[in-house]
Amino acid sequence: MGNKSSLMLQEQDIRDIQSETGFLPSQIERLYSRFTSLDKGDNGTLSREDFLRIPELAINPLGDRIVHAFFKESEDDHVNFRQFVRVLAHFRPIKRTQDNKLNAREEKLRFAFKMYDLDDDERISREELLAVLHMMVGENISDDQLNSIAERTILEADKDGDQMISFEEFCCALERTDVEQKMSIKFLK
Amino acid sequence: MSATAHHLLEIRRYYINFLLKLFAFGQKKVERKRVGKDQDDSETSFSEFDQPSLSFEQPRALGIDEDNKGFHMDHVLEYVTAGMASIMEDNVTKYFEPEELPMWNLLSRTNDRAYEFVSARLTVCWMVGFVVRYALLFPIRLIILTLGIPLFWLCMIIVGVFPNGQFKRWLNRKLVIFCFDFIAGSLSLVATFHNTENAPKRGIAVANHTSPIDSVVLATHNYYDMVGQKHSGLMGIFMRALSHASTHIWFERSDEKDRSSVVERLKERVNSPDLPPILIFPEGVCVNNTSVMQFKKGTFEIASVIHPIAIRFDARFGDAFWWQDKFHHYILHMMTSWAIVCNVWYLPPMTRYPEESAIAFANRVKAKIARQGGMIDLSWDGFLKAQPPKKEWLRQQQQEFARHLQVDNTEEEDQWSTKDKDE
Repeated sequence: MGNKSSLMLQEQDIRDIQSETGFLPSQIERLYSRFTSLDKGDNGTLSREDFLRIPELAINPLGDRIVHAFFKESEDDHVNFRQFVRVLAHFRPIKRTQDNKLNAREEKLRFAFKMYDLDDDERISREELLAVLHMMVGENISDDQLNSIAERTILEADKDGDQMISFEEFCCALERTDVEQKMSIKFLK
Repeated sequence: MSATAHHLLEIRRYYINFLLKLFAFGQKKVERKRVGKDQDDSETSFSEFDQPSLSFEQPRALGIDEDNKGFHMDHVLEYVTAGMASIMEDNVTKYFEPEELPMWNLLSRTNDRAYEFVSARLTVCWMVGFVVRYALLFPIRLIILTLGIPLFWLCMIIVGVFPNGQFKRWLNRKLVIFCFDFIAGSLSLVATFHNTENAPKRGIAVANHTSPIDSVVLATHNYYDMVGQKHSGLMGIFMRALSHASTHIWFERSDEKDRSSVVERLKERVNSPDLPPILIFPEGVCVNNTSVMQFKKGTFEIASVIHPIAIRFDARFGDAFWWQDKFHHYILHMMTSWAIVCNVWYLPPMTRYPEESAIAFANRVKAKIARQGGMIDLSWDGFLKAQPPKKEWLRQQQQEFARHLQVDNTEEEDQWSTKDKDE
């Protein structure tokens, strides 16, 4: 906070980000402050190491996958502030009275879908499901058991019989889930 | 000598009160401008108290619903959210950054949000403040410091001349306290000491650590031998000077042998009742003074009686937390602040219970210090400042999640196998 020089975010940038994401100006300023303090190299972008330096993220089983979500958009393995805020915007609570562009229920679900769908082919394959399961449980469950869990999960969700889970099937499977509660964060001002 | 010091202290207090009024004025101006910018936060049905987060002390699987057995694809949601929440703000790295102030204190270093353009009057205040701090206060403080260092050296050499014994210790005590008080003037240090009846005369004292000047603050009131990491440069000068007069323990943290010799030397000291108290900072690193991080257990294994001391700085006047890369940048920062204001509480000595482990004892002392100073008591290890967390902690999270799946899983498997049989 006190260790970086003056605010390099222009008024216009803040307004653009506000209209794109719905964040309040004070929230955007605060996120910018956070962005610069994570940016240890002081070059205006974040690398994977910058993210994984956060201890609570480093011990999260899905840590790598979460970080990857930021880098999907960027071409050169660096995340700038706009990309940073855009990803976080998915986790804004849903506001009844506003137009929720990035944080509507469907957007949140799409984000969750992308956590599984690594190769971006709009389908979750058995391998992709297994990969996530493996991240979540580590060495504590045998491969056989994980296999049967994965198969059962696909069996339950797969409606069109292609042995993979499409986005519609995913949404259907999560119909009863309180997505808003599970995928929202209070953003500080 | 002490009368002039007292008189100076009064002046410093008037100065502090004046500054507080100035800050309050500034805050009113800032808030008036702020209200225009933010629109009201419209309603949501989201309850922020249920926000998912990973627990480090007691790992718990997130998002598991006991009624809904087996793995579901929505189990990942809360882990993702917990990760995102920690990217926005986490409970470890924020304590390695300077404390966030509730109001602007007219220093451009805490000025993240272009406060100086809020109002013309505020801008003038800031400019005047700038001139006062850099052109008036800083030169005075620099003079005091340049006089203080040779004075310090001289005193230490004088004490070193005498043979070891009671007189030497008495002289050492008097001169060191005087010198530190003198040098403390170069920072406009205003320290208030509470419960001075508990000030230790011997044994081991522990305190929370925010900056190198913690020792200076404590030494303006009571004499301690010190334990610390060897440093070069300005700090090294002080350390070498101190060693002329008494037995301090300076060591090299990266050297394993050096570290264990510290333990040995501490053990020797615990058993000598004549020696002055020794001051230890069990966190091992500087933290930003809003929290107290894990205490290393070494000290608590050796001694069964500890004198806890809590130090809390008031960051509005100048943040004493050392985050700058170079020591002289840090000193420059401190000498151009308004003042360094802090409270020191001497807590009554604490004794280890018969069956209590060193770690439990350390945590008990830490909790007392944190509560007294109004700081948050954290279990995170301060060394996370420089090192990544152990892989073990990640494995624990995985284990917890697997445990919940496993139990449900075997039940499910039975269900499936009976179904097969029926078919």
